[in-house]
Amino acid sequence: MKTLKNKKQHKKEGPEKINGTLRRIEQQLDQAADKSEDSSSDYDFEVVDNESLSEDEGPPSESGSEQSEPSGNEDVVSSDDDDGNHDDTRNNRKMDGGESDDSREVIEESDSSEDEVAPRNTVGSVPLEWYNDEEHIGYNLAGKKIKKKERQNKLDSFLASADDSKSWRKIYDEYNDEEVELTKGETKLIRRLLEGKAPHADFDPYQPYVDFFAWDDSKHPLSNAPEPKRRFIPSKWESKKVLQLVRAFRMGRIKFDDKPKKESNLYDVWADDSSLAERQGLAHIPAPKFKLPGHEESFNPSGEYIPSQEEINALQLIPEEDRPKFIPQRFELYRSVPAYDKAVSERFGRCLDLYLCPRARKKRINIDPETLKPKLPSRKDLKPYPTTCYLEYKGHKGPVVSVTAESTGQWIASGSNDGSVRVWEVETGRCLRVWDIGEPVQQVVWNPLPELPLLAIAAGQDVFILNTGLGSEEEQKKIEELLHIETPTAPDDSDKNASLISWGPDEKHGGIRLKHFKTVSSLEWHRKGDYLSTLMPHDILPPTLKSVLIHQLSKKLTQRIPYKLRGLPVSSAFHPIRSIFFISTKKDVRVYDLLKQKLLKKLEPGVREVSSIAIHPGGDNVIVGSKDGKLCWFDMDLSSLPYKVLKPHKKDINKVSFHRSYPLFSSCSDDCTAYVFHGKVYSDLNQNPLIVPLEILRGHASADGRGVLDCKFHPRQPWLFTAGADSIIRLYCH
Amino acid sequence: MFPAVVCLQGKKKEGNAAKYMTRSQAVKYLQVSLSVFRQLCIHKGVFPREPKKKVKGNHHTYYHIKDILFLKHEPLLETLREIRVHEKKVKKAESKKNRNLAERLERHKPDYSLDRLVKERYPTFVDALRDLDDCLSMVHLFAALPAVEREHIEVDRIHKCRRLSHEWQAYISRTHKLRKTFISVKGIYYQAEVQGQIVTWLTPHALQQVLPSDVDYKIMLTFLKFYETQLELVNYKLYQSINVKYPPILDPRLEALAADLYGLTRYLDASARASLVESIDVRPSGSDQNEEQQEGTKLEEPELRLAQLQHNLSSSEPGSLMRLVDDVREEDEDDEETKECRNFFKGMKFFLSREVPRESLLFVIPAFGGMISWEGEGAPFPESDSSITHQIVDRPTQKRMFLSREYVQPQWIYDCINFRVILPTDEYLVGRVAPPHLSPFVDNEEEGHVPEYAETIKRLQAAARKEVLPLPGAGEDDLGDPQNLQGIIDRAEEIEAAEKKRKMAILQKQYLDELKMELESCQYHDHSDTSKLKDAEGPDAEDSLPNLKQIAEDAENMSKVLISRKKRKLLEAMEIGKDRKKAHIKLLKERKKKIDEAEKSG
Repeated sequence: MKTLKNKKQHKKEGPEKINGTLRRIEQQLDQAADKSEDSSSDYDFEVVDNESLSEDEGPPSESGSEQSEPSGNEDVVSSDDDDGNHDDTRNNRKMDGGESDDSREVIEESDSSEDEVAPRNTVGSVPLEWYNDEEHIGYNLAGKKIKKKERQNKLDSFLASADDSKSWRKIYDEYNDEEVELTKGETKLIRRLLEGKAPHADFDPYQPYVDFFAWDDSKHPLSNAPEPKRRFIPSKWESKKVLQLVRAFRMGRIKFDDKPKKESNLYDVWADDSSLAERQGLAHIPAPKFKLPGHEESFNPSGEYIPSQEEINALQLIPEEDRPKFIPQRFELYRSVPAYDKAVSERFGRCLDLYLCPRARKKRINIDPETLKPKLPSRKDLKPYPTTCYLEYKGHKGPVVSVTAESTGQWIASGSNDGSVRVWEVETGRCLRVWDIGEPVQQVVWNPLPELPLLAIAAGQDVFILNTGLGSEEEQKKIEELLHIETPTAPDDSDKNASLISWGPDEKHGGIRLKHFKTVSSLEWHRKGDYLSTLMPHDILPPTLKSVLIHQLSKKLTQRIPYKLRGLPVSSAFHPIRSIFFISTKKDVRVYDLLKQKLLKKLEPGVREVSSIAIHPGGDNVIVGSKDGKLCWFDMDLSSLPYKVLKPHKKDINKVSFHRSYPLFSSCSDDCTAYVFHGKVYSDLNQNPLIVPLEILRGHASADGRGVLDCKFHPRQPWLFTAGADSIIRLYCH
Repeated sequence: MFPAVVCLQGKKKEGNAAKYMTRSQAVKYLQVSLSVFRQLCIHKGVFPREPKKKVKGNHHTYYHIKDILFLKHEPLLETLREIRVHEKKVKKAESKKNRNLAERLERHKPDYSLDRLVKERYPTFVDALRDLDDCLSMVHLFAALPAVEREHIEVDRIHKCRRLSHEWQAYISRTHKLRKTFISVKGIYYQAEVQGQIVTWLTPHALQQVLPSDVDYKIMLTFLKFYETQLELVNYKLYQSINVKYPPILDPRLEALAADLYGLTRYLDASARASLVESIDVRPSGSDQNEEQQEGTKLEEPELRLAQLQHNLSSSEPGSLMRLVDDVREEDEDDEETKECRNFFKGMKFFLSREVPRESLLFVIPAFGGMISWEGEGAPFPESDSSITHQIVDRPTQKRMFLSREYVQPQWIYDCINFRVILPTDEYLVGRVAPPHLSPFVDNEEEGHVPEYAETIKRLQAAARKEVLPLPGAGEDDLGDPQNLQGIIDRAEEIEAAEKKRKMAILQKQYLDELKMELESCQYHDHSDTSKLKDAEGPDAEDSLPNLKQIAEDAENMSKVLISRKKRKLLEAMEIGKDRKKAHIKLLKERKKKIDEAEKSG
């Protein structure tokens, strides 16, 4: 009976719960079994509460409130347990305090009683944490509180356990808050449990089975129901199922060979490898082959292919997609080359390319860059043209803004920002004459008539027409007559347009002075030398006033151009043969017929800002220089768009000009160069003009970011005069 | 004509809209899933095309409608559909817990073969060879990959890839078709010339490969499926061409020792020679030896037995039979280069140390006519063999050395092969820092930068060529030998050809130089004029030198002035490319300079 009870008791606790504790105990038992002398065979298992056993190693939350250290309890217990291992020679019982004696008494009490003795604590199976903060652990049978024991000092408890030879069989019962010493019988029992046997040795698990109910000689059956029919008849459904299966076998739906054999069906696919065999479908574009590796991919590349550490670091700054995919490395030995980590990825990328990348036949541009350049006639054949600097005219103190050549080609005149106008002899470079105008000169233009050696000078708001004093005496007389003005015409001139223009004699220099109402930027003589156009670009002008004026020298008259301009006028020019007038604004060039007084054409160069225009002596071609360094060639007979746009210069073009007789034109720019082009216009209208760049003329120095300010051809020779911002005029000869 | 398309798109279309359809349209039209469509495209070799005008927008891929119709009429499409149906059945059975049925179905999955498609895509054998690069690289890569259940990379396929790659290598090695090799960080590149086609492929290093997770292995396996078939058929054809039965039967012992390639080559040797040997009627003398061998290998193929016999014979009494057979068979049909390759390592015996990566060298050395052995079981001759001329060692030091042989690093083999010169071994000896390994695929002249070592090798090549002419210590004996004579004649011819080539090159260069001079002459002329003028002037005569550059630049600028914008842009783009190349070369030269300086100072 007792054994059964014990067994039952055990079944209540889960075996897994108990196991850990048991194992530990068993270890201790093994080590110290021979030392134990306690031979009390009387035991009661219930005393050792398994719950408390298992919670020996439980969470530290069960530590008492009195104890400041939360894990103190556990430590005490564990040290108790551990110390059982020590071979204890001294049997010091001093440390066995009253408490442990008490507990032993309790055990003995329970031992002595015949019946099951309820545990000291009566709280039942409630979580013990509930009592964590209390001073008691529960209530005894009498309903009185059971006080918690005071915690032992860790060191003390350790020493005590070390001294106590029986400490290995002591277990802390948390439920009752006491230490329990296991008896020899109990340890045996635990050991049996651990072995997986019944706790008691005398329990036989293999007892012969004794049926609790025997039918043998009873008169009546248990059930009176008749035997069912299905016990005697074969199953219909089974037979159906069998039939189905049989059929499936026969039809071959179910096969019994576990793996169908793969016979290799290799044969020569290309047996009839005739040349006629062609690929079906759309034209096939074969995928390009992968790139073959270069020296840098070698496992042992030449030293120059390996980037230095700094270069590798610098790569980190490059955004990831631009970074080179492969960084060369060097390995001393072939076998130290590791597996390439991107081998699979790269092959996968190739696969993706093969089936996802659109393919198109692209003609590889494998052309020589030279063939892109147009075939030009040899420059030797196009001689003469200015190539080298022959003379320099020095004397001006500021940038030379304008230069002009006399029609005979013996003299040139130049105007500078320092307010001086000089006349030079071309061949010698001698300065013939100097006028000091006082204001920065804008432009100097020589009268195109050889018998009228007059200079028109634009400076500030004035235009001077000065006699240079060249030519024969008869001519001089004529000129003096021409330049003679009796009275200032302005006041009594009733013409509205010219009301602000005053014709008057210039006392200082001996010529005519035309006072304008705004700054004059540009001048142009008509080919006959009688008319002179002036431009006054200004944003705010009264509507009645126009910025383009034409003066007639012989009559001392001023006319305005009666057309509206959009934008500021930049440059103007007379047609060399017909009475046509060109005005360029910043955007476009307008062509007017002066006789019919109407707009003939509008040329659209499509450049940023037009700076100057020049008319071919034939009159059918116009070149336009722009401030983005472009040069547009217009053919008047063709469209209003340029026939050809050249971009010779990197900086603004300041001036363009045509040669009067040679097929040459030039442009000068702020990048200190002047270009000379061959510009041949054929009389055959079907043939396009031939444009060939001939020479880049250098030599001027830059000053204030400006380079060559003006260029003019010599009227008879293929020579070019250039005026630079470095206050020098140069003559380039062939 | 295309009802689905017409319905899909509403009204009738013309031009690009009618000719091309986007991928999603194509998938819809074929009534398949995207993955099936992908498989179809891969197997059929259909690729997207670039329409002139992208009707549906820039971010679509476009297929030509004829390509899609081509796919539509493909019987494979039906098979793929069947497979899909079958998969559904399996899934259904599994979800009903009918495991028996599921297993049974799994076993009888419909399969398809692609040989018909191979024929369709490559109507002639040469076509197939031409497009073999990707195929070989892929198969070689998979031969080195581990089998991964998760990614459906099965062991069988890996084994098949290994087998196929070895078969291919055995053929190349046997027929001496290998031309170039290059050990790169990414793997080893090989280049062979088969039937006039240059085939290049990459094999990974024989190490554990990394399987990245961002790769869709399904796509790769689809490709692999096609490539396996292609390579198998190509191998079949190639083996047939050298009268060897395909698939070859391997010596299981060698297979177990992971020396498949060696086994294969032996098999090849054997079966190619078998018929010839019989016809010559040379009966084996050492029959007991033969039997011993047989016991060891347990093989019944008479060919193989013969092969082993041959092998034994050749190793015991060098050059008796094997050479005879070889010469008879191949002398007539091979081209110059193959001959050169076959005799390149002739008479040399190599032994591989334990640490040397064996597979590659087992392939390469026999391809160039060398004999090879290694440390381990199944090796043809042991390390102690006194006739070994070179031992290949890949470690910093070698303790035990035979004086009769040279201990070289593996790089020596590859360099020799690439430059077709037996290089002096001094620099490649054990413990030395080997000279750089250069890529044979680069045209140094075109690249603009010639590595120092390339020049050294050029000199060596030239020296080797000249050496043959005077015949060092050969005498009449060698001249008497017809084979040697042949060789000499060949060499002589070669030298002549080379000389001619060089002369031509010199002439060409001269011509080019002259042309250049001519181009610049006008400028020179002009310049001389100017200088004359300046001389007359006096003071400015000095600065004629810097002007030269200026003049060249001017000429450049002037020619550019008249170019139309489109051409100018093109020219600029070209110049950018050129500049980049130049910058790269400059960087290399700078680095080289630095290294040289460091060497001098250090």
